Amino acid sequence: MTCKKKLGRNQKDTNDDMINLVDNLNREDDLKYNRRAFLKTAVGTSVALGVATIPFSVKAMLGMEKDYERVEITKLADLPEGESVVFNYPTEKDPALLVHTVNGDLKAYNSACTHLMCPVFYEKEQDVLLCPCHAGYFDVNNGHPTAGPPQRELPLIEIEVDNGIVYAVGRQYRHG
Amino acid sequence: MGKKTYWGIIIATIIINVVMLQWTVEAFLGREYDVLFTYNIISLISAGVALFSYFQWRKVEYTK
Ligand code: FES
Repeated sequence: MTCKKKLGRNQKDTNDDMINLVDNLNREDDLKYNRRAFLKTAVGTSVALGVATIPFSVKAMLGMEKDYERVEITKLADLPEGESVVFNYPTEKDPALLVHTVNGDLKAYNSACTHLMCPVFYEKEQDVLLCPCHAGYFDVNNGHPTAGPPQRELPLIEIEVDNGIVYAVGRQYRHG
Repeated sequence: MGKKTYWGIIIATIIINVVMLQWTVEAFLGREYDVLFTYNIISLISAGVALFSYFQWRKVEYTK
């Protein structure tokens, strides 16, 4: 029997009405995924996104900056040019880096990379701060990112030299 | 207002809120607390607008 002789609904890939009755089986989906449901989800998304900003404000209010203490970092004599020393400031949980640059400047920054918090270190050959994780480069003179993924500058630690001893006295989060 | 308008408003609030959330996180990480609160407030207002438009839309949509 050739196709021509068959009834419409018996032919290959037919669209005959009596075949496509099963399309009705999708009616549950039609009820669930429709225009109205889409809008409701959209509203839910918008509200959820809005509410998601609250925790940041709350955390910010709880953790407002306190006064900074004066903390001894190291003796200047122990830190020749081109060397750096690691310390923690303002709290034990904030690693920081004091650099005596090859040009003779003293610079200190929190050393957690502003990309994903890997510790940066001082690279004296190129006179830069380098984050090894994703090759992020920071200018050692102002802490601003120069290459790689980091977008924000490193927090600057204010230092003071007194009687050959270097002290940390403050911190600036966004600077320059 | 027509239903289309409410759709537009709601989609717009999503866009605003996505951007605000991103900026809030940035401001939080950079300790820029004053702008953080601003973004936060904008974001909450826009969420409120979304809810309000939704209820308005529902009124229109489900009346015969
Ligand atoms: S963590 Fe420093 S570049 Fe990614």
